[in-house]
Amino acid sequence: MIKIQKEDFNSEEEIKKIKNLYLNAGAVTSFTGYVREKNNNNKVQSIYLEVYEQMAYKQFKKIISEAYLKWSLLDCLIIHRYGKLNVNSKIVLVASFSKQRKDSFESCNFIMDYLKKDAPFWKNEFYDNRNEWLVNSN
Amino acid sequence: MKIKYFAWIKEITNNEEEDINSIKINNLDNLKDFIITKYPDLKKHLDKEILRFAVNQEYVVKNIDLNPNDEIAVFPPVSGG
Repeated sequence: MIKIQKEDFNSEEEIKKIKNLYLNAGAVTSFTGYVREKNNNNKVQSIYLEVYEQMAYKQFKKIISEAYLKWSLLDCLIIHRYGKLNVNSKIVLVASFSKQRKDSFESCNFIMDYLKKDAPFWKNEFYDNRNEWLVNSN
Repeated sequence: MKIKYFAWIKEITNNEEEDINSIKINNLDNLKDFIITKYPDLKKHLDKEILRFAVNQEYVVKNIDLNPNDEIAVFPPVSGG
């Protein structure tokens, strides 16, 4: 399942909704990304996340399909927020559901790596007196 | 065709999107020439290979033919997650 939204979300509930569909899922690995208070020695006030939404959906579908080819997965969840986000806000949730832990661990990591590299989102970070567009380094 | 600009690119173009109807722009290289002519400040970013291009929401690296109904996006390296 893919969700691109402004609103916050409850990670536990989102994962539970999917988990309940698969009684055979013995493993769920999730990653949650948050807005940090400090970045490159700057005190962050908030970030503005811009998205190319149509492309993001397409790219997320593609990466989930690739993950399904590489690992034995029951389901995958990606929730990515956009808009203004304050420090400590959730940015992204990725969760992989599988029978065995190895598949969920590795696929979750794979999806996050791809997302940082290719998903069409851009962070504009706001400090006290200025702002700066960021580039992912990893 | 429609061109969309994102992040700090649109601060240079002062424009989020525009429609172009020119039979001369029939491939991506022509389109690159068009945008650096119209927005000269983009040239240095194109030369340094900072600009990313997507056609119909798919990344494109090489020169490809463009059609009148295509949606082209121009953006900087991403920073999501």
